[in-house]
This record gives sequence, structure tokens and C-alpha cells, in this order.
Amino acid sequence: MSTAVAPARPVDAAGLRRLVDRVAAAAEPHVARTDREAAFPVEALAELRSTGLLGLLVPTPYGGLGGTLPDLLAAAERLGRTDLSVAMIFAMHCQQVAAVVRYADEPLRSDLLRRVGDGAYLASVTTEAGKGGHLLSAEAALRADGGALVLDRFAPIVTGGRYADGFLVTMRSPHDPADSAVSLVFAGRDQVDVTESGDWQPLGMRASHSVALRLAGRVPAHQVVGPHGAFREISVSVFAPLAHLGWAACWLGTACGALSRVLRLLRSPAGRARTDLGSELLLSRLSRARQRVDTVHALLRHAATVVEPGGDLSGPRTQLLLNGLKITAAEQCLAAVEDLVDAVGLRHGYLRDSPTRLELALRDLRSAALNYHNDRLHLADGRLALLDPEVHLA
Amino acid sequence: MDDTFVELLRPRLKFAADRPIAADTGLREWGLDSMQAIELLFDIEDAYGVTLPEDELTDRTFATAGSLWNAVSRGARAVGPAA
Repeated sequence: MSTAVAPARPVDAAGLRRLVDRVAAAAEPHVARTDREAAFPVEALAELRSTGLLGLLVPTPYGGLGGTLPDLLAAAERLGRTDLSVAMIFAMHCQQVAAVVRYADEPLRSDLLRRVGDGAYLASVTTEAGKGGHLLSAEAALRADGGALVLDRFAPIVTGGRYADGFLVTMRSPHDPADSAVSLVFAGRDQVDVTESGDWQPLGMRASHSVALRLAGRVPAHQVVGPHGAFREISVSVFAPLAHLGWAACWLGTACGALSRVLRLLRSPAGRARTDLGSELLLSRLSRARQRVDTVHALLRHAATVVEPGGDLSGPRTQLLLNGLKITAAEQCLAAVEDLVDAVGLRHGYLRDSPTRLELALRDLRSAALNYHNDRLHLADGRLALLDPEVHLA
Repeated sequence: MDDTFVELLRPRLKFAADRPIAADTGLREWGLDSMQAIELLFDIEDAYGVTLPEDELTDRTFATAGSLWNAVSRGARAVGPAA
């Protein structure tokens, strides 16, 4: 008697919610410790693997969940409510996967997607000393050697690098002298020597464990994602939009989580006994925090509808929208938590052991403006604004 | 591509050196960055009286000298011949 295997269907909203709740539940008991010790959330990563959520964007024929961009954003927002480091680890992994889905050629595509569908975790290696966070340039060059690519790459910040099963690495194309001719290459952990250096002791995002890594080794030539020098296109169509959308969803989740915990505290019997809920100052501050998260949510939703059809995203109006989303989310999510700190005061707004966790949210969200610096995006947006004197809106 | 266009391009392409600029010359590969692209558009506007519409300002338009020239030519036809 044969056993019929039902064809895998993409995950639905309720199923996704259950899986994400499992990861959030696995992360929750460790939030204070991973922050205090600046330790990677290995329990949450294990649950991301076992739920199949690392394969959220992997099509079902490769063993993934076949999820969509809105699925990714919903999951990132939910995880951000519990732990921003976990949410960012997840969102940035999904960004890597999306690039593989869209740009990797066979046999790399099938091989890598099956591995991710099985729970492999991919880290992003795009930072480089001396280029000041410029995503679209690279100093270190790949070297072509017969059927192999030789890489030797130092990156000052690699989120989760110690725990990654593989890396997507930006390096200068072996065939072009321009530092803007950047290739994206996959390196499995077992294919390269990975040397960790330095210590990770940041203000916030402490559980993201974003250490410096040096990767050195040889990979088969077919492990380049898309043609050599294609990273600009990959970045414009996948990497940058998914970074801005994914980060914004994570930050929004953290601001919503903070607001939710404050509201629960205020509404509790003890809270009502202690606090004058009719205070106009308190009500105004709650209103302002709520207004900020609703603004970010609306902008995020709108930007996702512009990106999802997969058209050309390189024009000024779309670039301005995506950059504006990142800048706005970074500013407003942090500002919402600041409002809440003022609303509840020293005991629940500033002390580490408060159940509101505002102190952690504030430290974590302070990184948002610096994570691909808002200043750099404003410079880009100023140039883009000059290109569009009629001011078209996306 | 006419000579004026090629002469407008050359100073914006930092890797051009003395190499001939052809229709298939990759503008990014030859060193056109975003600020240089804006300056180049201003130069084109001054020389041809053509403002490229916003929906033409994509990576596809800026891919090669030829693709940019095609966009400029379309703009020039829309404006009509100079008096």
C-alpha cells in the first residue's frame, strides 16, 4: 500500500501565526539574558529552524513554506514585539534567501534552497572596513582560479556570523576594476576558514551578536549569485527593498510590543490604582506613541504594495519611498518608545527590570538610524529629489 | 550618439581615460556615480533643452551610453527640433 503525500501548499496566515508564536515563545524566556550577556539567541534560532520559518520565502517544491513578502513582514513585526535581535536575524536571513530565489542559477539555486528549506541559516557579509557602509561598492576582489573563486574577505560586522551555515558575500568582480562592479557569492561554512575577531559589546541589539569575521577559502565558480558584477541589480530589486521593509517591520514590532506592555501595565488593577488614567499629559503621550506606530504601519503597508509586483524599483519615486520608509520607521519607532518612557516615568520607563522592557526597546531602537545611516539615505534622497522637479509620488 | 553627447559623457566617467565611448559602454562600470549622473543630466538639459521624465530615470536608462542616448533622443523628439 502506498502512502499518498499531499502536495505541499504555501503556509496560510493562521499557520504562519502559529509558527511565529512558537518562535516568540522560545525567545521570550531568554530575552533578558541574551541582552545582558550579548549572547546570540540560539534557542530562538533552533525554533526558527524547526518551525521551517528560515525557509519562509523558499518555494514549496524545495521544502520551504512558500511565503510572500507580506508574510515576511507580518512575521518580522510579530518577532520584533518580543525581541528585536531575533526579528532582525530572521528578516536579514530572509533577505538573503529572496536574493537566491530570484537571482541564483542552477545548480546553486536548487542546492541552496533545499538547504534553507531544511533549516540552514544564511548570514550577510556586506560590511567592509574603509567603505563607510556603502552597500554598492567593494574593495576586496574575488580571484578567478580555474574553476574556482578565491576569496579573502574581512567584514567588521556580520550578524550571527558564528552560527551561520553559510554566507552571502559581496566582493569586487574578478573581471572588472571598478569598485562598483560587485559580485554576490555564496560560501558555505565548510568551504571557508572563518575567523572571528573582536568583542561585541554594543549599547543595544546585543543579542544580534554582530562580530567581525574574516572568511578565506575557495568556492566553485558557479557559486556566484547572478552574473558577476550584478550586485547592483540584486540590491536595487531585492536586497535594499527587503532590507528597508524588513527592518521597518522589525522596528515597528518593537515599538508596538513596548506600547502593548505599557498599556497592559496601565490597565491592570495595580496600574489603575497607581495611575490617573484621566491625566491629559498621559493620554496625549499615549496618543502620540500610537500615532507614530500607525504612521509607520501605513507607510510600510504602502511600500510593500509598491514593491511586491516586482517591477523596476530603480526610479526616483520608488527609491524615495523606500528610503523614506526606512528613515521614518527608524525615527518614529524610537520616538514612540521615548514617548512611553515619558508617559510612565522612571520606575517603568528607565529601569531594566520593569515588565515594560522600555529600557531595552530604547537601546535596541537607537541602532535603527545607524543601521545603514539615515544621514546617508538623506543624501541619496536629496539627489533623487533633484531628479524629479515635478515631484511624482509613488 | 553625436559628438556633443560623447563629450558630455567623458568627464563624468572616471575610468574612461582615452578609451573610445561607444553605445555599449557601461556607464556604471566606467565610473558614473549618482552625483555625476545628476550633473550629467543638467549638462544634457543645457545642451539639448531636454528634461528626461522621472519615469525614464531608471537603472535601465543609465545602463549604457546608448540607452541614455536613446532616452535623450526620445526627449528631443518630444520637444521638437530646435528653432
